[in-house]
Amino acid sequence: MAGILIKNAFVIDPISGIKGEVMDIAINKGKIVEEAPPGSEIIDAAGCLTLPGGIDSHSHVCGTKVNFGRYMSPEDMRAGRTARKGVMHVTSGYSVPTTFGNSYRYSTMGYTTILEGAMAPLEARHTHEEFTATPHQDMLANTLFDGNWSIMEAVQEKDTRRAAAVVAWVLAAAKGFAIKLTNPGGTEAWGWGEDVHSVHDPVPKFGVTPAEIISTMIRANELLNLPHSVHLHCNNLGVPGNYQTTLDTIELAPDLNRERQSLYLTHVQFHSYGGSTWRDICSKSEDITRAVNNRPQVVMDMGQIMFGRTTTMTADGPMEFKLYMLHHNKWSNHDVELETGSGIIPVYYGRKSLVNCVMWSIGLELALLTRNPWQCLLSTDSPNGAPFVKYPEIIALLMSRRLRENERRMIDPRTEHFVPLFAIERELDWYEIAVMTRAAQAKALGITRIGKGYLAPGAEADVAIFSIRPDQVDPSVDYQQVMAGFSRTRYTIKRGRIVARDGEVVVEGANSTIWTKAIVPDAYDMSLDPEFRKKFEQYYTVRMSNYPVQDVYLPRGVRIETEAQL
Amino acid sequence: MKVEDVVCPFCGCLCDDLVVEVEGTRVVNVENGCTLANEKFMGDHRLKAPIRRAGNAWEEISYDEAIEETAAILLDADRPLLYGWSGTFGEAQSVGVHLAELLGAVIDNTSTVCHGPSIMAIQEVGHPGCTLGQVKNRADVVVYWAANPIEAHPRHMSRYTTFCDGFFVKSAFRERKVIVVDVRETESSQVADEFVKVNPGGDYAVLSALRAIVRGKRDLIPATVEGVSREQLFRVADLCMSAKFGAIFFGVGLTMAQGKYKNIRNAIELTEELNRHTKFTISPMRGHWNVYGSNEVFTWITGYPYAVDFARGIAFYNPGETTSVDILRRGECDACLVVASDPGAHFPRACAEHLARIPTVQIDPHVNATTHLSRIQIPVAVTGIDAEGTAYRMDGVPIRTRRLFYGNYPDDLDVLEKLYRIIREARG
Amino acid sequence: MNFLLNTGRTIRQGSSVERKNSATYREEASAVSMNPVDMFEMMVEQGDRVRVKSGSGEVVMWVRPDPGLGRGKVFVCLGPYANHLIGTETHGTGMPDFKSTPVSIEPTEEPVPSVAVLMRQCGGVPYEG
Repeated sequence: MAGILIKNAFVIDPISGIKGEVMDIAINKGKIVEEAPPGSEIIDAAGCLTLPGGIDSHSHVCGTKVNFGRYMSPEDMRAGRTARKGVMHVTSGYSVPTTFGNSYRYSTMGYTTILEGAMAPLEARHTHEEFTATPHQDMLANTLFDGNWSIMEAVQEKDTRRAAAVVAWVLAAAKGFAIKLTNPGGTEAWGWGEDVHSVHDPVPKFGVTPAEIISTMIRANELLNLPHSVHLHCNNLGVPGNYQTTLDTIELAPDLNRERQSLYLTHVQFHSYGGSTWRDICSKSEDITRAVNNRPQVVMDMGQIMFGRTTTMTADGPMEFKLYMLHHNKWSNHDVELETGSGIIPVYYGRKSLVNCVMWSIGLELALLTRNPWQCLLSTDSPNGAPFVKYPEIIALLMSRRLRENERRMIDPRTEHFVPLFAIERELDWYEIAVMTRAAQAKALGITRIGKGYLAPGAEADVAIFSIRPDQVDPSVDYQQVMAGFSRTRYTIKRGRIVARDGEVVVEGANSTIWTKAIVPDAYDMSLDPEFRKKFEQYYTVRMSNYPVQDVYLPRGVRIETEAQL
Repeated sequence: MKVEDVVCPFCGCLCDDLVVEVEGTRVVNVENGCTLANEKFMGDHRLKAPIRRAGNAWEEISYDEAIEETAAILLDADRPLLYGWSGTFGEAQSVGVHLAELLGAVIDNTSTVCHGPSIMAIQEVGHPGCTLGQVKNRADVVVYWAANPIEAHPRHMSRYTTFCDGFFVKSAFRERKVIVVDVRETESSQVADEFVKVNPGGDYAVLSALRAIVRGKRDLIPATVEGVSREQLFRVADLCMSAKFGAIFFGVGLTMAQGKYKNIRNAIELTEELNRHTKFTISPMRGHWNVYGSNEVFTWITGYPYAVDFARGIAFYNPGETTSVDILRRGECDACLVVASDPGAHFPRACAEHLARIPTVQIDPHVNATTHLSRIQIPVAVTGIDAEGTAYRMDGVPIRTRRLFYGNYPDDLDVLEKLYRIIREARG
Repeated sequence: MNFLLNTGRTIRQGSSVERKNSATYREEASAVSMNPVDMFEMMVEQGDRVRVKSGSGEVVMWVRPDPGLGRGKVFVCLGPYANHLIGTETHGTGMPDFKSTPVSIEPTEEPVPSVAVLMRQCGGVPYEG
């Protein structure tokens, strides 16, 4: 494979400290290099915005519940379908596209790396099968520990090291990337149709509290030196007044890591509600961002909602049932033994629903009120807030107060009494958008170490070249151009190969799956622990030897090894 | 050689605790398996080589010849049907879907005559379910509705429900109530604490009655509903509502009876209503081994679990139209590739007649009813014995089967990939 | 006499499902189970052959008693014999009426055909290898 020389690119590469510079980028053998080899393909970027490949640090694209979202929703499948064309397979689906649909749409928007937000270890094999069928992005999987019995037992015994040992074994078995806690304790309670209602509410029959689980797992994570921090979906998602739970959770976050945050809070929009009922729900984005602004050890993603139809899906089973009791459309639930749960319902976010308008405002406010863009990443918790194809619209909203004012005229007029959005003048710039869509994700996930998220020599050659000319576009005014520009790249380059051009995928693709293996001393190897083995064989319904995901499921696996301090 | 923790390739339970003894290319002993598993592993009745119909007789042919001829049949067809898939592993199913995409074919799996209506119901109202371990560890009430696990899923009760102790249910036999609802007495109904005998076709009404009771409308219930007394209905509803964790498992007695998917919809809605009182889940008893895997694979590639029609380039799904029985009934397909199933035995006679009229090719290890209807049969390794790959248990848990020995047969994936390559080259 | 035909799995059917040319499979798949009182009224005994007819076809099977079945109901395990009687109407669901086909049954002296013969009747060529 010959190299590529991208000439005259308007480069923003926050990790390398490049804040908008016209320069050339040379690529050889899948990496960014100082000088392109002879015979390289020349791309004249002609001053177009050029960024590291996009990274989504929280999206639901592959695995049991995502596929069930497709399975139960032929109406959504019909809403977005394309025929086989060139190297592109058939695709179906709007809010929950088929794997190839996800992969092509992300790729044409310049995304080259995606973290699947929630994988139950027992069903990890499924996630990995779908990863293989998502060929244009490198994939990582958040691994669910929120209701893990062995973890809760370790928490009961205040044994952080044992919790760390369980994490190490499960991550290696599931070929997972990071620790995910979804409504910690709540998913186990849902096994009895119950939930937990604050971080200090004990889990039925286990007696431990969400706060204890979260604190233990943050410390266990650091004992294992994992690249990412604990990735937390707080308790009480979507409940009016839940901002207090979120603030209590932020309080729990120690500052333990110099390289990155110690706690990642996901889809915080859904956790920033004031009021006490759906009638008086209001924005508490100011309280939340004040807390985050004061704590560099916390990073969050927006969880923006956008108006229209979508599908909600989460491991948070009890939350989905509550949502179903509001919507009465259709409801799926799938509890996973000894580990976690999940639920799915379709929703419609309407401009005429005051609640939805408040939610919409909160997401934007979080991004606009967080001073440091490295602490608030762009996401919709796709597809929960909106499918990821809405990102360009969100970018435009963040960059243009005028667009926000236009929207203000379209939504429920009462909204402004419940939210501060329209008093915020800030308009984000290209650099901040570059941070919020790739650089900060790479840093938060801890994957700069494998060359992700930047364009200096040695980095993976994942590049997005947009048709936007920053010298000619004023995003505050030309928001239509911003939207159109971020919707499709001129070129998406993945590991040194042009994979998409002008909205079409041009090669078949072959991705990698990135996973984490913490090396632990034998005393902390759970596969050798008789008690762990005994309980596994007694209470799981698969044999322990059939549980770990075999290497064959990761044809191009990238293992990040860490030394645990146990 | 003894192999432990072997995954059984027969029914949707995917029991993974078998101990299988192998001598060369034969299984000589199976421990922990049910009768079905023992027959599956020990029975050695394979078709020896590819065969082709020659007039009124059959001849052996080579694999290459069989595959090339199959490719020619499929390339020549205007509206091919690719049917079956439940007896093979996910990786082969995946190639099958891409083959259908390439050919503009209809691809359908055995859910079409099994839990297809359950899928239709789930698409209307969703599916509150769980993995089987949730039931094993928690359930104090288990309902088998229109299912006969002792004959169809022989270890379901001992591995997951009636006779299986769990973390919160230390003595299943004492602490767990079992309710069986069926139109006839069966082996399963005999172990029930409560057997509810319903008139054939009466399930919908009985489900509606239970929903009314759960909603607090006992006074609406007549003295009997489809053969079930009011007293028994009250008793069953009370058992369910006072459960800490209830689990309904339903069989094809609901999907195939009058009302079809509306029966399932009603059962799911009963489950949903019970969740307003306590915890309840509902799960289909998926029968044919990896049928759920075929639904999963079809879905992540095409968006739909079965009955997918690629004739217009996009993936199109409309059960009742794009389902195999309907396509065969209308005499619509002009070639059929059958993989890992037996429509000759399990489709209505008129469908079998159409399969005999058109060039039908079967990829399957054994001689079955479809063999007699085919033009070509290509024997392959048996998944879970001499072929390995991914299968999905009835509750969605994916498990990798073990290959017990390397035999002389190619597996489904080998044959389908060759077929795909030839057809791709021809189609460009 | 008129009956309602139900079909379903049996463990013997499942055990021999990969040997469809075998006598074991034929025996299980061609058995029609009937309430003993109905058998008495029809004056047939276990093992007697009967002709079963539906709106879609007819096939010869053998009778066995099953007191678990109600009067007027018969059961045949799923397979080619049952399917000789099942129609193709799916009511827009893809699913034939496998659980509820009206049939009439009368005693006969004719033999129970083999699976291969049934498939020949469908237009196939029996493979006996």
